[in-house]
Amino acid sequence: MNISHISKRGRLSRIAIVAGAAVSLFFTVGGISAVKAVDEPVAQAGPATFRRLSEDQYKRSITQIFGPEITVPGRFEPPVREEGLLAIGASHVIVTPAGLEQYAIRGREISAQVLSEDHRSAYLQCGQQAGATFDSACARQFFGKYGRMLFRRPLTDKEMATTLGLAEKTTKTTSDFHRGLGAGLNSLLVSPAFVFRMETVESDPSRADALRLDTYSLATRISFLLWDAPPDEELLNAAADGSLRTNEGLERQVDRLMASPRFEQGVRAFFIDMFGYDQFDGLTKDSAIFPIFNPQLRDDAEEQTLRTIVDLLVTQKGDYRDLFTTRKTFLSRSLGALYGVRVDQRAFGGWMPYEFPAETPHAGLLTLPAFLMLDPSHEGRSSPTIRGKLVRESLLCEKVPAPPANVNFTLVQDTNDPVHKTARKRLSAHNESPACAGCHRITDPIGLALENYTPVGAYRSHENGELIDPSGTFDGKPYGNAMELTKLLRDSEGAPACVVQRVVEYGVGRTLSSGEEAWLGALSQSFAQEGFRFPALLRQVATSPAFQAVSSPALSSPAIALR
Amino acid sequence: MTDWNRRKVLKGVLNGAAVTVAIPILDCFLDGNGEALAAGAPLPTRFGTWFWGCGINDKRFYPDKLGTDFEFKEETKALDPFKKKITVFSGYNAILDGQPNLTHWSGIMAALSGTVPSKGGNGVGTALASTLDCLVADHIGKGTRFKSIQTACTGQSNVSYSMLAGNTVNPSEVDPVSLYKRLFGPAFQDPNSGDFKPDPNVMLQQSVLSSVKDGRDDLMRSVGSSDRARLDQYFTSLRQVEQQLAVQLEPPAPAEACVVPKAPEALEPGTTWEDATMMHDKLTDLLVMALACNQTRVFHMALSAAVSNLRKAGQSVALHELTHEEPIDAKLGYQIETTYFLEQSMDVFASLLKKMEAVKEGNGTLLDHSLILALSESNLAKFHTLESLPMIVAGSAGGRWKSGQHINGKGDTVARVGLTVQQSLGMPVGSWGSGANATSRTITEVL
Repeated sequence: MNISHISKRGRLSRIAIVAGAAVSLFFTVGGISAVKAVDEPVAQAGPATFRRLSEDQYKRSITQIFGPEITVPGRFEPPVREEGLLAIGASHVIVTPAGLEQYAIRGREISAQVLSEDHRSAYLQCGQQAGATFDSACARQFFGKYGRMLFRRPLTDKEMATTLGLAEKTTKTTSDFHRGLGAGLNSLLVSPAFVFRMETVESDPSRADALRLDTYSLATRISFLLWDAPPDEELLNAAADGSLRTNEGLERQVDRLMASPRFEQGVRAFFIDMFGYDQFDGLTKDSAIFPIFNPQLRDDAEEQTLRTIVDLLVTQKGDYRDLFTTRKTFLSRSLGALYGVRVDQRAFGGWMPYEFPAETPHAGLLTLPAFLMLDPSHEGRSSPTIRGKLVRESLLCEKVPAPPANVNFTLVQDTNDPVHKTARKRLSAHNESPACAGCHRITDPIGLALENYTPVGAYRSHENGELIDPSGTFDGKPYGNAMELTKLLRDSEGAPACVVQRVVEYGVGRTLSSGEEAWLGALSQSFAQEGFRFPALLRQVATSPAFQAVSSPALSSPAIALR
Repeated sequence: MTDWNRRKVLKGVLNGAAVTVAIPILDCFLDGNGEALAAGAPLPTRFGTWFWGCGINDKRFYPDKLGTDFEFKEETKALDPFKKKITVFSGYNAILDGQPNLTHWSGIMAALSGTVPSKGGNGVGTALASTLDCLVADHIGKGTRFKSIQTACTGQSNVSYSMLAGNTVNPSEVDPVSLYKRLFGPAFQDPNSGDFKPDPNVMLQQSVLSSVKDGRDDLMRSVGSSDRARLDQYFTSLRQVEQQLAVQLEPPAPAEACVVPKAPEALEPGTTWEDATMMHDKLTDLLVMALACNQTRVFHMALSAAVSNLRKAGQSVALHELTHEEPIDAKLGYQIETTYFLEQSMDVFASLLKKMEAVKEGNGTLLDHSLILALSESNLAKFHTLESLPMIVAGSAGGRWKSGQHINGKGDTVARVGLTVQQSLGMPVGSWGSGANATSRTITEVL
């Protein structure tokens, strides 16, 4: 096996895999032998993770389990982005007292709704007339079903006994069986077994001294990767009967999940994380400077990009790289105003499919307003540096170092400077300072190519009356404007390699260990061979043995399964 | 009402009569000196940290003279009405000791946690130790419904310089309506109403949390060692919520100056100076009464982020960018646009002090019974300087802090201020901070 290396830009480079790296895995589950020849290496994996559910994941869990009529109240703790992903930050965050207070409120209010007179018949097939009498069998059935869905595994005997005990005690105290059930459900909702995705591991019989996720944790990893939501009952059943351990069973479940309408929500969730769209929350631009900006335009800009992504990658099963150059998108009425395009939204439910004419300067993600306005630190103007940094970090998985602490920006951006009227001229001062030049040579050319677009996404040819020069070089290749730059980005090695890296990190909830580089390389190769089809990449990750593998070195004592 | 006395009122309460005590509560609840509740418990001391982003202009901020005979300068003149209740600290540095200067981060963490952080920059990062408000809350905040309350004025809940060790920010309340609901919503018990009845729903909630806690040991065994601390923190937080519930089951101690505020109207957050200061006004209305009504004794307020995105309406450049991009006026010697925000920041701080001063407690005011540490993350934000980090303490901790002084640290660590704050609040702390910022040197002038 060739040894992979980290490129000078910090991105995991492509890795050549030689035949010796391929392994065949043999599974024995419940007496059924299954063989899978896997043309990818299963080297040392990383540790199991312990991830706090995101706000969306929490809400989706409740909706998926109890239906959309149950509302989720309260305020969630802010997520933390680490190493480029919220999914990685989720493996490191804790719950503060203020956060726990909110979980307690949510638990109380959700359980009250579920057990309310209006709703409970949808969840309870028994105990309707129990009144003040505690119906133990009914309670057991109720907690067995919903406990398994909430914890994404069956309740342990002890957990069941504790929950039943609480429900019985509360029934006696309140003389109300349904309040008793509500208290029990409330306790499940406040349990860390629901609030966190707690991965449990077991010995891997196919590899000596190796560990793997247990089937319920695997089911959870797969469903959150593909749906950004917990496993449904069928997937939990596949975990329970062991069929998820067979190739056929695993592939059947992955294919089923990918055929579900929920797959689109999973793809959206991934790109919201990868592209940092959580920053849209509260994003604003100065309406005095950009009168067209309003919260509707902001929300539509985000939705436009997500629709563009889903259409190209999921509906059309297109090439991921074409996201950089596609002229096909969707317009709402507010976006139509931005482009001067009449939008007949009646025919399309508010969103009209639209293709930018070939001669217009609009093609690909970088020229859509979502990308162009996604800069919370500048409300009144664009920042080529921030835009360039966003491309380098979010789309190419590169790391741009922080600026030195004692830098003097005075010469850089005096916007009233009569000599340096454009951002390019103002930023040129960076290149005269050795402390600044290194990083700004990485970020600024990309950002300057996008100076033709205002902070709300409209096209402009001039700044302060002077023609904008969008030309530059990307990785040594010259371009004349943003349209040419996006083609270079599309054809770069970095763009597809980055999305592969992010998918894996997003799936496992951590940065990759050195032992996983070979796996990453194999995935990149397959991605290319499959024509850079994003669903194929997700499928390969979800069915990969490496996705199930877990290391033990990070654990002073291995985690044990509760069951 | 003059013929009311403590005995009569308490008799009514104890007899179960629905006595509604007039507000403000009568002095009859206080001892003869007006500095303690009649039951003997002293009036509570409160602590807060108040943060503004992007520093100061040294020469326009610090008084020229040390000691008690000082005069405020342009950027602090708003504090003049409270001069006797203010302590100005100059010359206390965040000492990097070879660590990188993580922009807009190292200074605030050095001051608030006594430790220079190793990860972060641009206003965010990790804390190697918990911040002062958390430490103080552990000491004085346990008996109230909320151990502490965090607030911020620009709509972002992650703008908070209240941190537990690690990467955990205690998120800020950013919406007056939800803060009101949390503080004064259905679970609030008016300390002066006199008709306390334990809420059975609170007891029910306690048993729910207790049930969750029962599963702790098994769950702890099911995660790897690296995650055990995080799971343990979950249960620590759970215990704290249990304690909050326990407080709700006890009759609240009377609070002399508690006036339950009216529910605020919805207010859209924004980053213009007008939006943020309006938000500060609404949030501090609630915060001050949360202190006066004994709902919490500790708070953190962030007027802006350390990388401040405050700006004047219609202007394209926000404060942080201004600090770096605006030239220093050759004649005046400071950045004119930038300074507008810095100067006004102390006006906003003064507005909080005014509200606290207006709350009469015993022989003094809520401000007298508090210590509020106001600080920023840098001295001159333009160059992220960490020398003479701006720190002002308001209040006198119920007489345990000698205010009305300007004290110069002559280059000592900022952690001396944090250490002295803790000691003045009665915390058994002999030394504080780590590395070059570790100190056991109390600032004796204030104790």
